[in-house]
Amino acid sequence: MEHVAVWIAAFLTLGIISFLYKDNPWYKLSEAIFVGISAGYWFVVLFWDNIYGKFWVGVFPPDVVDEAGNFVSHGVPDYALIVGAVLGVLMLARLLPGVGWISRWPLAFIVGCTSGLYLMNYFSSNIMRQVQGTIIPLFGIGYGASVYEIIGNIVIVGGTFAGLVYFFFSKEHRGAFGATAKVGIWVIMITFGASFGYTVMSRMSLLIGRIDFLFGDWLGLIK
Amino acid sequence: MRLLIHTTLFLSVFIFIGSSRIFSVEPSPQVQADTLVNTADTVGVSVAPVTSLLVDDYKYDNGEQLNLSWVPSIDDQLIDGKVSVYRVYRITNDSTRELIAELPPGSNSFTDKNLNRHDTYRYIVAAVSASDDEVLSTTTEPVQPQREWINFRRGYLFLLALIIGGAVIYYIQSARRGKKLFVRKIAGLEAVDEAIGRATEMGRPILYIPGILDMDDVQTLAAITILGRVAHQIADYDTKIRMPVSRSLVMTAARETIKTAYQTAGRPDQYSDDMVSYVTDEQFGYVAAVDGIMVREKPATVFLLGAFFAESLILAETGNSIGAIQIAGTARPAQLPFFIAACDFTLIGEELFAASAYLSGEPKALGSLKGQDVGKAIAMIVILVGVIAVTIGNAWDVKFMNDVKDMLTTIFSTQ
Amino acid sequence: MRREVPLFITFFIGMLLIFSVFIPPMESLGEDFTVFFDIIAVFAFFLGGGNLLRVHVSKLTRQKRDWQYSIVTLLGFAVTLVIGLFKIGNPGGIAAAPTAAGSLFQEIFDYCLVPLGATMYSLLAFFVASASYRAFRAKNREATILLIAAFIILLGRTPFGTVVTGWIPESFDVLQVPNLAVWIMNAPNLAGQRAIMIGIGLGVVSMSLRVILGIERTYLGEDKS
Repeated sequence: MEHVAVWIAAFLTLGIISFLYKDNPWYKLSEAIFVGISAGYWFVVLFWDNIYGKFWVGVFPPDVVDEAGNFVSHGVPDYALIVGAVLGVLMLARLLPGVGWISRWPLAFIVGCTSGLYLMNYFSSNIMRQVQGTIIPLFGIGYGASVYEIIGNIVIVGGTFAGLVYFFFSKEHRGAFGATAKVGIWVIMITFGASFGYTVMSRMSLLIGRIDFLFGDWLGLIK
Repeated sequence: MRLLIHTTLFLSVFIFIGSSRIFSVEPSPQVQADTLVNTADTVGVSVAPVTSLLVDDYKYDNGEQLNLSWVPSIDDQLIDGKVSVYRVYRITNDSTRELIAELPPGSNSFTDKNLNRHDTYRYIVAAVSASDDEVLSTTTEPVQPQREWINFRRGYLFLLALIIGGAVIYYIQSARRGKKLFVRKIAGLEAVDEAIGRATEMGRPILYIPGILDMDDVQTLAAITILGRVAHQIADYDTKIRMPVSRSLVMTAARETIKTAYQTAGRPDQYSDDMVSYVTDEQFGYVAAVDGIMVREKPATVFLLGAFFAESLILAETGNSIGAIQIAGTARPAQLPFFIAACDFTLIGEELFAASAYLSGEPKALGSLKGQDVGKAIAMIVILVGVIAVTIGNAWDVKFMNDVKDMLTTIFSTQ
Repeated sequence: MRREVPLFITFFIGMLLIFSVFIPPMESLGEDFTVFFDIIAVFAFFLGGGNLLRVHVSKLTRQKRDWQYSIVTLLGFAVTLVIGLFKIGNPGGIAAAPTAAGSLFQEIFDYCLVPLGATMYSLLAFFVASASYRAFRAKNREATILLIAAFIILLGRTPFGTVVTGWIPESFDVLQVPNLAVWIMNAPNLAGQRAIMIGIGLGVVSMSLRVILGIERTYLGEDKS
């Protein structure tokens, strides 16, 4: 069984790689298998995790038992989950003619949730924490920094400042303001360059992993 | 200039209120804790017990936490210490005691979480020797965690959110009243019109990819709001839009959005549900399908807006290989460099969230961008003042500067 | 009415969650609503999955281009769904976890989805190469800066960097590529990250407010539908 499975895995691996040459029937077949199976897979996983694991078990909780399996108490049902299920059912109103507009209610609920949650989360994690993190002594604690560290600290503070200037929308990027914005985009480009350079190496190791599978697990050429 | 004045105004209000410290955290009063110790219930006398075991209510929570503190055993020394571990025991209501934590030597506090405010709790802390002999402290008096209705610890967060949110709302309102607002040109968004026009001329579709996350991600929400504006233009030009998505909810939201756009553009009959199709929730399964669509249908324009992970480069490079004009944008800094390398225009972070307001051209939406700028100005001034204060305060120990630094640290600490 | 109710729901829920941060008894509301979201998302899948079926069945019946592959997709979808929902080939039976070790469902994952996903992911190695090549022809100053920074970081992570700049005397050791790479990561890179993150924070605050206040509402459709 396992041997067949490895052959299937190898067949699919080569099918995907063949896309690099050009679109072809082998790739199309691998893609069709990928889409069909994965769509089914995720529905199954989400169904058991959320509808059964979160909703059903939440509303009809099992009894609490001790280690020996003796009854301790009845589980506490969380009836609030029914609201979630009702919203879910309303989502299906789209399938019925005439009442499709009701499905906007759960959508409105989700959009309200996303906006409200992210607003406060990003406010504290992105704005407050980053501003606080940028307040650093330029010369180090008790004047202890080396020349490179001092330059580094100045770059951190000045770079953050210039980067923020770049993002200003309501002011034309001209004159001194424009020059600062220019420095800002340079700093941002260094950030992107750093991230790019950092990732290149790790991407190569992914390919090495697949080659290892083909020549090791499948063909047995690499031990 | 006016922006500067408004910013200064906001900032002075905030510093004034900040310095008065109306929300400063009072030391929590001790709640019914027992301080009797040293009359320990001793099993095998090898180490001295902990002393002064106190239980306090954890302030400003939903009645779910208690703070324990104690003075470590006198045998808990850095060198030649005899205590190997501290064990914290809890007695809920009148049941038997249960071990809830083991803490390393030197520990003198513990926060017990996930409690029920209707239950009473008592605690014992045991000092344990290397030979596993436990020496127990006395048991504390029963304590109930208290629930508070307002979290004053987050007072400054509230104040700052009020100021920056207030600035956004203020400028929305003033734009609504007809005040003219300037917004600079954003290259990536200026190109939208041209990109749609190009697809129209070439008679090829426009591919719109809203990232791979669901509607519970703010980047997807941004992608859908931008779609509203882009689809309106597409409807105007009578071009085809193709939108494969990886989440069912995104499919529903995108359909509503495009449908609305076609209706407001006066072409409701041109809209079809087939414009948006669900593929699969699987990250790379979705990518495999989108890559296939790209090379087979050869869209003239590709929008990659939303939350992207490793697939950013696969999609952008495939789009590039078919010669499409690509406009990309995400708030994930790690993926932005790949979009910059492979796409014609990239919306960087904040620009993604500003895009729908910019494209709408509606004064009130543009007003919100001006409000964002006030936030930036405040951040910049705080950074500048803070860095000067901490640098001078640190180097020459100037009290006033240290006070300013302490104040800013308190205000911007997040809990 | 059809539009006012959803607008009110968005406003009410959004505001509720903003204030819940400051009200301890309501602090867990965000988590509770996230569970609601998870449940709604599964119901929504009936629409998404239904759409997937419809697209491929119509491709098949109308014999559109590449209709043969639709058979494969439909089969894969149906088989996985039936195996997973009824836990066919699961040694633990219906009570076991669907992804239990040794179950047919888990084998489909291990031998089909894992290699497919990993290979798709590994294509990145090729795309990174072509993107780097394009970046090499830096068109303007910004692209050149990106390229130089990327090059230094890349060199700094390989022994080559040490070999090339090892001769630089100790008093200027920051100019040795590995040290320079560290400096770039810790100083300008950090500054750029901070500016981007603060900007994103403000962008999210502003956009969320526009949504909560009903200024952005195209997703809610028209009044008459």
